[in-house]
Amino acid sequence: MIKRGNILARTLHKWIGLIVGLQILIWLTSGLYMVIVDIDFIHGDPLVKNMQQTVEVPDPSKIGLPELLGQFPDTEQIGLRAVMGETYYLVTTVSDRWLIDPQTGAIHSPLNEETVRKIARFHFNGDASITNVSLIESSPPMEIQTRPLPLWRVDFDDRYSTSFYIDPQSGRLATRRHQYWRIFDFLWMLHIMDYKERADAHSVLLISAQVSGLIFAVTGLWLLFYSFSGRRKKQTTGK
Amino acid sequence: MVFLKKLHKWVGLLIGVQLLLWLLSGLMISLLDPAKVSGAQWANDVPAPGSMPFDQVLGFDDLPAGLTKDALRIDLKPAAGGFVYEITHSDSSVRISAINGRVLKTSGEDAHKIAQKDFGGDGEISSIEAGMAPDLETRNHREPYWRANFSDSASTAIYVSQRSGEILERRNTYWRVRDVFWMLHIMDYSGRKNFNNTLIIIVALTAIWLGLSGILLLFYSFNRHDFWFLNALGKHNEVTITLLDPANSGPRKLKLRIGSNLFVALAAHDINLPSMCGGGGECGKCQIRFEPSDAPEANKLEQGLIPKRRRERGVRLACQQEVHWGITLHIAGGTLKSGDDTSTGTA
Repeated sequence: MIKRGNILARTLHKWIGLIVGLQILIWLTSGLYMVIVDIDFIHGDPLVKNMQQTVEVPDPSKIGLPELLGQFPDTEQIGLRAVMGETYYLVTTVSDRWLIDPQTGAIHSPLNEETVRKIARFHFNGDASITNVSLIESSPPMEIQTRPLPLWRVDFDDRYSTSFYIDPQSGRLATRRHQYWRIFDFLWMLHIMDYKERADAHSVLLISAQVSGLIFAVTGLWLLFYSFSGRRKKQTTGK
Repeated sequence: MVFLKKLHKWVGLLIGVQLLLWLLSGLMISLLDPAKVSGAQWANDVPAPGSMPFDQVLGFDDLPAGLTKDALRIDLKPAAGGFVYEITHSDSSVRISAINGRVLKTSGEDAHKIAQKDFGGDGEISSIEAGMAPDLETRNHREPYWRANFSDSASTAIYVSQRSGEILERRNTYWRVRDVFWMLHIMDYSGRKNFNNTLIIIVALTAIWLGLSGILLLFYSFNRHDFWFLNALGKHNEVTITLLDPANSGPRKLKLRIGSNLFVALAAHDINLPSMCGGGGECGKCQIRFEPSDAPEANKLEQGLIPKRRRERGVRLACQQEVHWGITLHIAGGTLKSGDDTSTGTA
């Protein structure tokens, strides 16, 4: 019975190894990258600075709530935000968000390229020059596919190929991407076997590979157990 | 190859169980329905407050200076029952009524209502308790909370922020089960959060060796005859071999597929040679004897497991040899008989 089981285990281990062996190696290598490279680095924490700016409550004698509500009757929410050290009102209306100068009432958004460059410089932790600035309004690249558009993209000429994504309405650094993030994302795609969206970890393909992999591991351990127990027997019988 | 096999086996012994756990936990995480795990399945849609009249709302300058100092953001927004100011600092946040300027706190009763409204599943709140995040179920937060325990079958717990009254987390049995598998998957047994830990890095590095040696071994484990079904439209060439068992009176002839593994081919005819490893060339038990004249060359594994004198007499391991035309094999006395005894279908 055991002998029969061993032959079956070896045959299964061999054939499943042939079919999903490569995927198992991919799981291991992609997993290794994800555990070795520090997640805070992947999130780009060392690439940015000035992320915690404080706001000052503006002088209400110039522009206050009544003026703002007069200008934007369909206001849902009003906030104070710091952009490059200066405090602005951020007014959220039914349809959009607007950055307002609290001294003059001037509308700053959507921000132009020149301002976006300055904001990018303000937050970039380094000296590398900016190679490209572009406004993304449709068909976003994979790396920001879940983010609301439009977004300004600012590329830096640094060793990480850093890209900043800046919200043209609020001036906020919405997210940052770099080469090691992109590698991480690509390996995550391979890890969860969702080659399209890189998000679904519950697909039939993945589950079939996992079930095969599980059989593979169980037969491997089975073979291991008998290969070591056989060794012991040989010694005790003195053959 | 012998070295590769040894490496594969010992590394397998070292981390085989973790590899099994990775596959098992990965599978379980994939199988658990994400809508149940996140509690979204039983969460009611809360309509957005929408635009509201800003009459009689305090201005930003009416807020106490002590609270607005060093704030990162200040937001005036609609909330249940009126407008609030939310003042966010780097490590905390506070809510103030925009009507009367009082600091808002979510009481246990408020939390009870908020949680009750949110939960669309089958069950009532059985108890409410206060707690402080982060703990195991609220590890992504850093603030005091109310925990509403529900009597549903999934033992739902809804965490409501004491500061903002917002729902921090929805936890249930599905999440808790997934979380145990997640812990096993990332090998962080205390916080269940940090996958950049030293233990998993070491084990993953070791596992890569297991994987690489396994892939290399595949090239040795297969020969082209394993893929016989790919050619000649399934018509396979069978040849006759002769088996001699001293316990049997005469020779027994068998038709086997040419090139197939001798050990496996014999097992398929219920001729079970002794073996512990199931045909891996490891235990050295499945010995057979060829006629010395037509004995194939012994490979490395056979050289390691069979003494030279026996090899010269034509002794080989069945699991390391292929079926060839016209070979005659001597097998241990009684093998045929015991094989026939245990066989059920074939005569």
